[in-house]
Amino acid sequence: MEKVHTTCIYCGCGCGLFLHVEDGRVVGASPSPSHPMSLGRLCIKGWLVGEFVGHPDRLRHPLIRKGDRLSRASWVEALSTTVASLRAIVDKFGPDSLGILTSAKGTNEENYLLMKLARAGLKTNNVDHVARLCHAPTVAGLSYAFGSGAMTNPISSLAQATAILVVGSNTTEQHPLVASYILEARSKGAQLLVADPRKTQLADLADLRLAPRPGTDIAWINALLNVIIRENLIDQEFIDARTEGFDAVRLNVSGCTPEAAEKISGIPAQDLANAARVFGSAERGAVVYAMGITQHTTGTDNVQALANLVLATGNIGREGTGLYPLRGHQNVQGACDMGALPDLYCGYQKVTQARQKFEQAWGTKLPDKPGLTALEMLAAAEDGRLKGLFIVGENPMMSYPDSSRVKKALEALEFLAVCDIFPTETSELADVVLPGASFAEKDGTFTSTERRIQRIRRAVSAPGQARAEWEIISHILRRLDVPADYTSVAEIMEEIASLTPQYGGVHYNRLGTRGLQWPCPTPDHPGTGVLHAEKFSIGRARFRAVEHREPIEVADNEYPLILTTGRSLYHFHTGTMTRRTSLLERELPLPAVEINLEDAKSLGIRNSQPVIVETRRGSISLEAKVTEDVPKGIIFVPFHFCEAPANILTAQVLDPQSKIPEFKVSAARIRRA
Amino acid sequence: MSEYIPLQAEIVDIDIESPNTYLISLKPLDNANFGYKPGQFVMVSVFGLGECPISITSSPTRKTLQLCIRRAGKITNGIMDCRVGDVLGIRGPYGNGFPLQSMKKNIMIAGGGSGFATLRSLVNYIVDRRSAFGEVAVAYGARTRQDLYFMQEYKSWQQAGIEVGITVDIGDESWKGNVGLVTALIDKFRLSAGSAAICGPPVMINAVAKKLMDKGFDHSDIYVSMERHMKCGVGKCEHCMIGPYHACQDGPVFSYDKVKSVL
Amino acid sequence: MKAFLPKDNLVPMLTRVGRYMEVVAPIEVEGVAVFASWSGQSLALKDNPLLPPLEFFLPQRETIFRYVQDSGRYSFEEAAGKTRLIFGIRPCDLRALAVLDSIFGSPPLDQIYFDKRRSTVLVALNCNEPGESCFCEHLGSGPKCSDSVDLQLTEIAGGYVIETGSPAGILILKEHPEIFLEASRSQLLEKDELMKQAKEVMKDRKARSLPEMKEAIEKADWNALGRVCLNCGSCTFVCPVCHCFTIQDLGVPDGERIRCRDTCLLSGFSRIAGGANPRANIGDRMKNWYLDKFEYIPQRTGLLGCVGCGRCSRVCLAEMDRWSLEVRR
Repeated sequence: MEKVHTTCIYCGCGCGLFLHVEDGRVVGASPSPSHPMSLGRLCIKGWLVGEFVGHPDRLRHPLIRKGDRLSRASWVEALSTTVASLRAIVDKFGPDSLGILTSAKGTNEENYLLMKLARAGLKTNNVDHVARLCHAPTVAGLSYAFGSGAMTNPISSLAQATAILVVGSNTTEQHPLVASYILEARSKGAQLLVADPRKTQLADLADLRLAPRPGTDIAWINALLNVIIRENLIDQEFIDARTEGFDAVRLNVSGCTPEAAEKISGIPAQDLANAARVFGSAERGAVVYAMGITQHTTGTDNVQALANLVLATGNIGREGTGLYPLRGHQNVQGACDMGALPDLYCGYQKVTQARQKFEQAWGTKLPDKPGLTALEMLAAAEDGRLKGLFIVGENPMMSYPDSSRVKKALEALEFLAVCDIFPTETSELADVVLPGASFAEKDGTFTSTERRIQRIRRAVSAPGQARAEWEIISHILRRLDVPADYTSVAEIMEEIASLTPQYGGVHYNRLGTRGLQWPCPTPDHPGTGVLHAEKFSIGRARFRAVEHREPIEVADNEYPLILTTGRSLYHFHTGTMTRRTSLLERELPLPAVEINLEDAKSLGIRNSQPVIVETRRGSISLEAKVTEDVPKGIIFVPFHFCEAPANILTAQVLDPQSKIPEFKVSAARIRRA
Repeated sequence: MSEYIPLQAEIVDIDIESPNTYLISLKPLDNANFGYKPGQFVMVSVFGLGECPISITSSPTRKTLQLCIRRAGKITNGIMDCRVGDVLGIRGPYGNGFPLQSMKKNIMIAGGGSGFATLRSLVNYIVDRRSAFGEVAVAYGARTRQDLYFMQEYKSWQQAGIEVGITVDIGDESWKGNVGLVTALIDKFRLSAGSAAICGPPVMINAVAKKLMDKGFDHSDIYVSMERHMKCGVGKCEHCMIGPYHACQDGPVFSYDKVKSVL
Repeated sequence: MKAFLPKDNLVPMLTRVGRYMEVVAPIEVEGVAVFASWSGQSLALKDNPLLPPLEFFLPQRETIFRYVQDSGRYSFEEAAGKTRLIFGIRPCDLRALAVLDSIFGSPPLDQIYFDKRRSTVLVALNCNEPGESCFCEHLGSGPKCSDSVDLQLTEIAGGYVIETGSPAGILILKEHPEIFLEASRSQLLEKDELMKQAKEVMKDRKARSLPEMKEAIEKADWNALGRVCLNCGSCTFVCPVCHCFTIQDLGVPDGERIRCRDTCLLSGFSRIAGGANPRANIGDRMKNWYLDKFEYIPQRTGLLGCVGCGRCSRVCLAEMDRWSLEVRR
């Protein structure tokens, strides 16, 4: 029995754990007591993380499409076909007719190489990943407001807060370790304010619960600020010394009274006033947020509203304060850090500004205009401008909005290559499928939501002929005449460190079991816990006035309900790993739509009854779950289940600033099947 | 060979009892002898899908081992997809079965829904050993006529001198029989005291037990076959815990006083 | 039989044994003490590893047999066993094995468990310094082994006093006479004194006595505890007595039947086909877990189902006191 120390594959908490290996197979997992954040604890998914690794469904061989079937091929064939197809498209249609969607589940090294492949190899900036679907507004919004789009404090800092406002985050289910710190603060006397349309477990434990109509967050957050300003709870000293632009915001929110906000959001004015006072007078206030804030057409403005709140109350730069965007995937933070983004290189260096630096480092000319974002790439595929796509460790057929359009887009491509560990709804459509190595089968680093860069370590061999993506991509790079003779992932990290200021001091021999929190600019720098303590990288943090705008779809006579989507504790995203884990699949084996008790009654719908949910995009069949946890007028569907894919229902309507789709609001109707 | 390795049995016959229920007849391979008592169960394997507990519905006094399979989950769906000639795994027999030694001569049998499959084993045992018993009555209710099992056997029970009452929750034009609860059937029976064997949904068990106790049955003479999630069948995996008892070993047949609090 | 093992002879002893069986011991992996196969790594003997050696008798996942289909008939292949020596098992974890021996030994015997049990030599290490969360003394399961074990070691100045408890243990001493010395009377007295002191340390932790635990279980507001539980299952996965498992098949038409660890705290554990659930509420499931340890297992086996290792309190994600069974807020 061997125990290998590694990092969990599931969420952005980044817990440390051991994989147990016997006779070359992963037979179990256990928590690591030495991990600085998880401290010897794990959620249910973490405990069961080893099970999917050896599942018989694992992709073991490269596959090439022959007619309407995918047939086994050799690596030589598969890679040659891939390179030749990509080259042919570049030659015929130009480099911008190609795109790469990297994997937020892949390592930093793999994301770096993929973005290098796009830019240095294929000469396009069309590179993106699922941050587009989750925290693109955070990257855009907080880069503007603070100079950095990442969580401002370590997760453990939450335990020191005296008031915590949690907005649009089902924390106990999506980020259990973050929830444990929030609840620790609460048990020490901190006030917990939870804003969520649904009565989640955290909302149930809140001191103050705010249930806004989905898509009205700017209205009520501005109202909090209105009260805080009126009652002089702002931190004037902080505003004067470290920020700019407050006056515009002060003017803007002067009309956003709790009464006005009640009309828009449905939250009682008195509750808003109370919440404002609690947060405004807290010695250390923290704001935690996730998809409920970002997945809207006003996502970037929503993030700014929270930034305004935190800046106005001086809750930045100290333990127990701060803004905590909870990143979903275990390495979506890293994928962003590595520049798997159409407008940014690694280290958030702009494509329009840092091109020369990278041309020098990589020894080749690079494309100069920012590329297309993920949804824009799909739209371009639909209308024939994008001809080829390389998708790594992602399942857009299930995770991107408006699945029928996603299918049209992918089918319209001349060439689709998919690299993954399991066959998915997306790999079914591919021309070439490349079998990848899971997190248990390769070395590399992940960066958690608290900016902690940590090791994963190879515990077992990949099945069949599956290979680590960094090896696959290095091979393709070399075929495209880009030097990529890396003999180890540590070497790739050396290159990353040389080009990425925040990772400047990151070397494999420094990572141990605690990792390093960026910024870590030099080899002797210990890493950074609390950001913005002394100064912001942009000098002064920026306020920006933001105003409520209705979501693109509102309830109407034809579609009288609002559909909002989300997740469960027991499954992860499109379910490729968790639905192959026996205890998790047994816990939640079937999709269900949550519908309010009264709404159900008036529609004659009983609990567990088969129903059909419809939007303007399509319809799905599933069971009804009649509950008081979801308010009247709102229904909730998790997106884990291929039997009833929630994203058949959602729309590709985007936030103009960050291009994130509005997953959280669709007009819908429901009827008995 | 460990306890967990199943015996293989070939499906020799499939009878359709209702749209979602099959009566499967099994023949253990290699002429293995498979003895059991009424009220016991087996762990049935569909290799590749897994195992689940199914009550034995045949009586040990008859030649063929029979199971009544109703669509409820992954494994029962897998069994329903099998054909005559296919091989299933069986482990057991497990469980305590009905305590025939300590039960009184007069027996009331009451079943609701698919739970009646468990009781049929006892009914046919009594038919075959009729002289060992006194007054016997069977009360059986299902949701609709389509959901009633073993219809072709009711007459043989009556011919064996057993009072038989059948009822449905929802009748239709073709149904000329009783419509209503199983408890209403019990009122019509001659049988007034003795032991009872009940199997069905908890609400039905409680209602029937109360009716019987009002009629003079002692709660320790009322036996209930309890349904629980089971995996090992041998008292180790702990899925079927009912307080300190295991439904797979101390049960599935329990006297009503022992399980009243969890129904 | 008693003997003395000088400190420097511990590794040579394990090396010699390691020539004819696998040695499992607490080793340091990235600074953490874990039970794993030993092939010369530094031993981590200060703290009891977070995961008990139970996983060597009831693994988190194990193949109980492979099935191979041929013309509609199946043949089965059981996994081969391994001989092992587990060094460094603590008295609490040893007591837990005694509980499991009783449960897995009740008819029909669980052969898969006992094959491992019979082919494993256990060398226990008594606890001179009980951990912060330990309360074995209150439950009679430590800090010194009172269950029979092949060999038990107690650290004293310069090495370990060894006591044998089985023929296998005696054999080890007899086969390696160059490693062991005679234990002097003063060494034996030193051992007794150290064990007495360890007991005293725990006696002072009043808030974990058995009567107080039973009272806490009686008075607990299970609904309130359920409201704060984060459904991680950690307490059940680190408990040395917890042994719930499920069985699943992987592979058609050929494949493996796998036994894997389960947790009674998940709602799917007790859910019946068709959807009904006798323990639908997490509060009910938590209550059932505690009652099982303090009432049902004692009824079945005569032994307590809790051995006072305190691991559940270390891994709990929720804000609850696992001794007073109260929510912190």
